[in-house]
Amino acid sequence: MRDSEIKDIKFSKKPISIPVDYRPMYKIAQIVMILSITCTGNKSSLLKLHLLSWALKDDKNKDEVLELIKNNYDTDIAVWGIEPALNRALLFCISENICIIENGKYLLTKKGEVFFKLIIKADVFKEEFEFLNFVGKRKITDNRIESISNKWSLFNVKN
Amino acid sequence: MLKINKIKFEVNTDSGLYGSNYEFSNGLNIIRANNTSGKSSLFQAITYCLGFEEIIGGRNEKTMQSVFRDQVEYPKDSFHKVIQSFVYLEIENTNNDIITIKRSVISNSDRKPQLVDVYFGKLIDNKEEILPDSKPMYIHDKGGATDEIYGFHLFLENFLDWNLPNVLTNSGDSRKLYIQQIASSFMIEQKSGWSDFFATMPHFGLANKEARAIEFLLKLDVTENKKRKQQISFNKRIIEDKWVTLNNQFIRLAEKGGGTIIGLEPKPAIINDYRGLNILLTKDEEEYSISNYIDLQVEELKLTQNKAIFSVGQNISSDETQLDKLNNFINNLSLNYELISTELNFDKDRLRSYKSQLNLLKIDLVKNKGALKVKKLGADFDLKTSNEVCPTCNQEIKDSLLPLEVEQVPMRLEDNIDFIDAQIKMVTIYIEGQEKTIREKDKKLDLYRVRLSEARGNVRQIKKELVSDERLPSIIEIENRLNLKKRIEFYNKLLEDFNQLIEDLKELSEQWKKVVIDESKLPKNFFSTDDDEKLTFLERQFKILLKEFNYTSQQSEFIHISRENYLPVISKPFGEETKDYSIRFDSSGSDFIRSIWAYTFSLLDTSIKFDGNHPKLIMMDEPKQQDAAIENFHTFLKRISSHVESQVLIFASFENSDEAFETATKDVMFNLVYIEDKLIKPIE
Repeated sequence: MRDSEIKDIKFSKKPISIPVDYRPMYKIAQIVMILSITCTGNKSSLLKLHLLSWALKDDKNKDEVLELIKNNYDTDIAVWGIEPALNRALLFCISENICIIENGKYLLTKKGEVFFKLIIKADVFKEEFEFLNFVGKRKITDNRIESISNKWSLFNVKN
Repeated sequence: MLKINKIKFEVNTDSGLYGSNYEFSNGLNIIRANNTSGKSSLFQAITYCLGFEEIIGGRNEKTMQSVFRDQVEYPKDSFHKVIQSFVYLEIENTNNDIITIKRSVISNSDRKPQLVDVYFGKLIDNKEEILPDSKPMYIHDKGGATDEIYGFHLFLENFLDWNLPNVLTNSGDSRKLYIQQIASSFMIEQKSGWSDFFATMPHFGLANKEARAIEFLLKLDVTENKKRKQQISFNKRIIEDKWVTLNNQFIRLAEKGGGTIIGLEPKPAIINDYRGLNILLTKDEEEYSISNYIDLQVEELKLTQNKAIFSVGQNISSDETQLDKLNNFINNLSLNYELISTELNFDKDRLRSYKSQLNLLKIDLVKNKGALKVKKLGADFDLKTSNEVCPTCNQEIKDSLLPLEVEQVPMRLEDNIDFIDAQIKMVTIYIEGQEKTIREKDKKLDLYRVRLSEARGNVRQIKKELVSDERLPSIIEIENRLNLKKRIEFYNKLLEDFNQLIEDLKELSEQWKKVVIDESKLPKNFFSTDDDEKLTFLERQFKILLKEFNYTSQQSEFIHISRENYLPVISKPFGEETKDYSIRFDSSGSDFIRSIWAYTFSLLDTSIKFDGNHPKLIMMDEPKQQDAAIENFHTFLKRISSHVESQVLIFASFENSDEAFETATKDVMFNLVYIEDKLIKPIE
């Protein structure tokens, strides 16, 4: 038995696979796409960014948002997710000077616009483009989103 | 062999007839001429008459120099306009047949340069009254290489007793190797001929054309073997297809008979014993082969036939036991049925979840690939985040948006993509497996269903009988007999079909055996023993000549003849393996010229030794290139002068110096063809 006695055990950390949503460049590209395709003046509130980023996560979320638009905001949307990862990506965006904060809203810079053109050229994110192009610049406005969230907090938040 | 006997020029100008006449002998001929006196024109004229002018780099009269096309300069600074010009070439083959080829460069009638006249005999210096028969033929035009009556190159091919092989072109067609392509292996032109082996070989959409030419010159079996290999793999594919179809026929037959097939070979095989192959049929929980099953049924039928048909009353007790048995059977089977269908539901559920997992993975893969592309974009665009550097503090960051407190190291995006790929493969395999189980269980359920309904039908029969008049004959008995008879008939037919299929299988297996035997006879790398011998000899001869010609760039042990294209390569160890380098790039300029000398002549030597297809003619225009020393040139001439059975034409200017000529040709046996003054001069 002595021979097979274990002297010490070593663990080495292996890299793990992480969802693509946690990749900085994926998120940054997403932000650039949302701002360019769906926001008038390439400018958006944080809440709208979160809504659309959440929608892009999977088909179910997308359907829910599409349903909301089709029914003229009558349906009650289950609350959408607020992701810390998106906030971190936004921080990166700001310090890369891809967007700036103006009056509490995120605005795409010239550099961001150039980057968006590169993304179009690279011919990637077909599904994302399809969805965002459907949403377009007019269907979801900051005001609408604010009223939804107000309505939601009115009914669901105590005190 | 192809021997050049004589050449004659006839150039009509506005001030009279110009031209000349030259004769060549066996062995070494040195065509000496000063620069600009027409040495290369003579070389080109020979290729032109043979229709090989593509190795000069063009077609038809364009490849001929202006002295045949525009104006003759004689003497210096005195010009005469050319109005018509012809070249005559007398050649001889192995059987000492002589033909004379006449081709025009420019003509004042409508004679096209594609037209050649072939005279079946001597024409140059022919003093006789009657000229030999002649026939017009065509070069380069469609059919030039194939037209039996008018194609000059086909005629030349037959004249040389060549049989040019069919080769596979880049577009996948099979066509003849062109005779002009062979020509570049023994005719080396001055301007570009010395830049590489076979540098001037016309392409004609042929991959690895040098290799094809050498295979032909040395009569290598490898071409034939490769072709045979193609044929064999084609045959194999056909048999494989047939095998699968036949297997399906077996399976369908077994299904038709309600049994299962055993002993099938999924892929073609040589089968010696066919007894393992059978259809198993179930009776009373036991499995029987078809013939045994039929025996059983026949026996049963005999038993029932020996018995008189009972009336219902007589049959009551046996009916009751039968009923009990059947009920038991039904209960059992229903239980199994329930069990399996529950399992099946569960399996189907799992399949659905695998499928949705696969779907997610595929979406994930697309997104990850997009992310990777964007990340590269970002790096080009100079985004620090793309380079995993914090844009604010310039410290290294992980490629992740997880909170800093999470100390996991994420995979690199590329690895992550591979990881997802691997998962997709795994899930695909799960799905395939799951689908297979589901199919099997479905089949089982079907079988159970059929059996259950059968058994229930029987129960109904018995119950009906039990309530009918006791004096009537038992319907069940009668039906049973009829059924038995029908079944025996059915299975006899099935057995017949089965045996027929086995016959087919035997035949196919026999074909397979033949193909496998044919394949095993092919040498592994397609080289026959003869081929190996030839190539080894070629390599040895090449090295010997290199040494004699004073090649020094590489050590002899690194020099090999490539088995891919049969050209010389430098093989040097590179890590664990050896790597081949072109001898052209790994030799000095003058050494590369030496390699061409050596290679061209070792091809000839090899072909002579092994009775290959080499025309035993070598023509070289200005082989002393790249400042090769005159002494080396002397060695070269001395060496090749030993080829008295072949014909070697060396065109050289000897630096326009008598001294250089004397040094280079000292003690060399040769026939001097001296172009004095000019190639094209007035004819008295």
